[in-house]
Amino acid sequence: MSPSRPLRTVVTLTLVGLLGACGGGGAAGPAPGDGKPVLGGTLTYLEHQPPTCLYLPAAGFYPNGGILNQITDKLTWQNPQTLEIEPWIATKWEINEDATEYTFHLRDGVTFSDGSPLDADAVAANFDVYGLGDEKLKLPVAEFVNNYERSEVIDPLTVRFHFDRPSPGFLQGTSVIGAGLVSKKTISLPYEQQCQLKNIIGSGPFTLKKQILDKEVDLVARKDYDWAPPSSQHQGRAYLDEIKIIVTPEDNVRVGALTSGQADMVRYVQAYDEQTVKDAGFRIHAEPTRGVNNGLYLRPGNSLLKDPDVRTALRLGTNAREIVDTLFTESYPVATSVLSHLAQGYVDLSKELAHDPARADALLDAAGWTRGADGIRAKDGRRLELGVFVSGPQPLSKQTLELVAQQWTKIGVKLEIRPADAGTQAVDIKDAEKTAVQHSMVGRADQDVIKSHFHSENRDVILSDDEKLDRLLEEESAEPDTAARNAKVAEIQRYVIEQGYAIPLFEEPQVYGAAPHVHGVAFEAVARPWFYSVWKSQP
Amino acid sequence: MTRYLLSRAGQAALVLWAAFTASYVLLQLLPGDSILIKFQNPELGLSPQQIAEIRAYYAGGSPVADYVQTLLGFLTGSLGYSIDTGAPVVERLAEALPETARLASAAFLLAVLIAVVIAFAASYSTTSWLRGALLSVPSLFVSVPAFWLGILLIQVFSFRLGLVPVIGGSELQQLVLPVLTLAVPISAPIAQVLARAIDQVYAQPFVPVIAARGATRWWILWRHVARNAVLPTLTVAGLTFGELIAGSVVTETVFGRAGIGRLTEQAVNAQDTPVMLAVVVLAAAVFVLVNLVVDVLFPILDPRLKGAAA
Amino acid sequence: MSGAPAPAGGGQARVRLGPALARVVPALARVVPGRVPIGLVLAWAVVGLVLLWAAVPGAFTAYDPIAGVPADKLRPPGAEHLFGTDAVGRDVFARVVHGSVHSLSGALVAVGVGLLLGTLLGLLAGAAGGVADAAVMRVVDVLLSVPGLLLALTVIILLGPGTVNVAIAVGVGSVAAFARLARAEVVRVRRTDYVEAAFGSGGRYPAVLWRHVLPNSLGPVIALAALQFGAAILAISTLGFLGYGAEPPTPEWGLLIAEGRNYLATSWWLTTLPGAVVVAVVLAAGRISRSIGRERA
Repeated sequence: MSPSRPLRTVVTLTLVGLLGACGGGGAAGPAPGDGKPVLGGTLTYLEHQPPTCLYLPAAGFYPNGGILNQITDKLTWQNPQTLEIEPWIATKWEINEDATEYTFHLRDGVTFSDGSPLDADAVAANFDVYGLGDEKLKLPVAEFVNNYERSEVIDPLTVRFHFDRPSPGFLQGTSVIGAGLVSKKTISLPYEQQCQLKNIIGSGPFTLKKQILDKEVDLVARKDYDWAPPSSQHQGRAYLDEIKIIVTPEDNVRVGALTSGQADMVRYVQAYDEQTVKDAGFRIHAEPTRGVNNGLYLRPGNSLLKDPDVRTALRLGTNAREIVDTLFTESYPVATSVLSHLAQGYVDLSKELAHDPARADALLDAAGWTRGADGIRAKDGRRLELGVFVSGPQPLSKQTLELVAQQWTKIGVKLEIRPADAGTQAVDIKDAEKTAVQHSMVGRADQDVIKSHFHSENRDVILSDDEKLDRLLEEESAEPDTAARNAKVAEIQRYVIEQGYAIPLFEEPQVYGAAPHVHGVAFEAVARPWFYSVWKSQP
Repeated sequence: MTRYLLSRAGQAALVLWAAFTASYVLLQLLPGDSILIKFQNPELGLSPQQIAEIRAYYAGGSPVADYVQTLLGFLTGSLGYSIDTGAPVVERLAEALPETARLASAAFLLAVLIAVVIAFAASYSTTSWLRGALLSVPSLFVSVPAFWLGILLIQVFSFRLGLVPVIGGSELQQLVLPVLTLAVPISAPIAQVLARAIDQVYAQPFVPVIAARGATRWWILWRHVARNAVLPTLTVAGLTFGELIAGSVVTETVFGRAGIGRLTEQAVNAQDTPVMLAVVVLAAAVFVLVNLVVDVLFPILDPRLKGAAA
Repeated sequence: MSGAPAPAGGGQARVRLGPALARVVPALARVVPGRVPIGLVLAWAVVGLVLLWAAVPGAFTAYDPIAGVPADKLRPPGAEHLFGTDAVGRDVFARVVHGSVHSLSGALVAVGVGLLLGTLLGLLAGAAGGVADAAVMRVVDVLLSVPGLLLALTVIILLGPGTVNVAIAVGVGSVAAFARLARAEVVRVRRTDYVEAAFGSGGRYPAVLWRHVLPNSLGPVIALAALQFGAAILAISTLGFLGYGAEPPTPEWGLLIAEGRNYLATSWWLTTLPGAVVVAVVLAAGRISRSIGRERA
């Protein structure tokens, strides 16, 4: 990590924070100047989508994470400001030289909400499943654990994890949303049952009170909660009595309900509504997700995209600045690399990413693609037409793609946009011929995020057949030295751009709107809300 | 009468079975597959091999055996498990049904009320332009997309005027706008049939006679129209019941209510075939039942039909 | 939709006239003498205008419906942009005008599917009678028992998304209504004296069916078709709202309304103005349907 990194992080956070992250600045506690926290009250929080399967490693989906972040604790706490790993349920830990052995010392007296102890046994049971999966129970391996071998319970408050190869990302892995700790009973349930919220027993500051499937989740504060991260100013039970998470899929209803006082906080404020929310005197929290940027990912397996020059031409013909200026706001910084500028190992590639349609045209001409009567290029009787699916989770994906299509028309390329429907999409998206381009992103505050996105055995957005890329990613993921690891991540970013695998568009935030009477809103490092320190100055 | 009833009931059962079979076959043909949709979620990091294993776990035996088993399940009230959420389908229906039943029945009552008001006001209005205007209201009602109406109602009544909350609030408050949204399009055909029935009554030769004897317009309307209009209205009402279920898909999505409509929308999105099958059969069952009741009521209300078993 | 009541029966039979024209022309002809029904004239004007949009969109707007000017995004309606512009700077009026061909043809396909399949089923049932009649009508009952929207959603998943598939899916939902009406009409016409006479004078079954029964049963069916035309536009827009619409950037009306709704708080024109156009067209279709129905009575 370069010496200027933490400083820059703070500066940027403050800039983002100007929009209103008044509680988000502190590690956990309420920011000064908010007055004295008030105990009690119910927070009405509107979600965009209903939660899906709540098996913890699947918690990355924001509606899932918004719930699980309140009802589970993690071994460690990643300070969202410094991205340093701090103690939480683990009071301290030791890591051996080559990052193949991690020993955690646990806090005493922590219990799950069913009364069972959160001890070394429970932690070992959790990570055995996250690291190895369980065939019989149909539990898949979690993507935040690499090279896991086994656990070893040393004493009731000490647990050691062994890895068959170096696993430097594991410490950060223990802090991510998917690494929430659940009771031994929960972790021994089959997959189908771990999907259901009522079966998730955690040790977090809130517990489930009531769930109306697809509509509402009511959480209630745990009175005996007393194990917040030590760095949090606020200790003891949560300030709020209750949280009502209500699923409100219509964008205009969520924003209208917030500004008309029917809700306290909402997730997923669309870019065009940010001004409406601010004009009404409400706050916008645009939280960075610190991972692989929102962008278009080009698949070399597609017969038209085999040629790296064609891929590069598409990138040169894409004007990310215009997309952000037209559709988004300052909450969405234009991408300057494959990774967010707040991601670990980020390297500035803005020069390489400049918009240059003339060069794009030249590259395509040189590659033998000539324009037809309608302006679309063709070669050997094949038109330069590429398919892409509208990406449901990405904000304004359809509009973004429509704008990209307009830009590509100018360089003689047709982008065929298909509406997102789960049926054909699930099948066709794994077929490079049918889906040449994928619109996506992934957030995680660790170097491994780039491996998650590109490795052929992880998300594999480009349906990679590039052995060199896989090798680079594996080297990154097994490199115990932080500086060397960051250098590797930089090398990978350069390689991905050189090969024309990615057209980064912007750094996708999670945008929340909050009423002025809601204080102490905090987020984990990848922008999931943490309601532990939230309080309301009016009922 | 008993024979008529039995024959109608038999036909209803036949229709229901055919609806079940047709949707079963149709759903088996769907190209996508819910297991892929669910488990391809990249957060899970499953390999294609693991997904294949999961699929093998869910797969049944031969198609015919599967069909028979599902049919027997439906007959004994066991509707299988939702692939998307893993919950028993019966449980999901039981949770969603009361919500939709409240919405749909309230909307239906309101629709009838709106229809009666429009039809009677039109027939009572003396100026022709007012009458024309009132009679074109139903056409306007069916020309507005329901989701659009719902969103406009929320914007105006909840957000701008602050009259009813859509989030929080009592159960009654939460019903107001969805019920209105659902009732408006349903009221149109009922109003049209009612207005036509009223016209027909006025065209009857006995009307001028009793009017000459001093009966007021209102009295004639109530006494004769109510009687003559009930049958056609009942028929249309039976037919619109299916529309109520379809309308609830849109209304519940707009208002974020957890009813059968939302369940359907999500099941379709996830291609959760067990849930889709159950919803289709449920909708068909309600439709068939309502129309069976209408058929049974017909001869009771109209003595002329008692002899004929049409 | 399926709740649409059939126009009241009665009316004398005309023999050997162009089936559709025989119903429509008098309805038009009646407009000229006597009192002019302003509503009907307006309805035809709306339909005529929209048909012109579909035929020669370039005559009504100079803007490109697909490629916008990003810098001109979200402009309110005014002299330059009649209906304003959308989020990527496309002229909304141009999108409505150019979209008419997609929406109208979608609705036409939907009505066509319902009309053809439904009338065929109804004709067969009504003409054959007996067991065949009972069997066909039970099939129709099954179709009728499943709400149109559910049926449409299932068919879309089966066929995959796309403008034509959506239209077919909507059309399947109206098969039952057409079949019932067509059967009732055929049964009625069949019992009329001149058809009995045609059979009596040795007319072959299919020939009588084609020359006498079909043309005389079509009136109410055409009226229903006009009504369903409006309903189909609405149904397609509802499917667009549920996320099963045309492929972007096709400027289909339903999709315009469905997507504009998200901007309601900030840019009211995006959903309101295309919505008004749809309401006007659906109203006009309904008005014309009633005039055809009334002509018969």
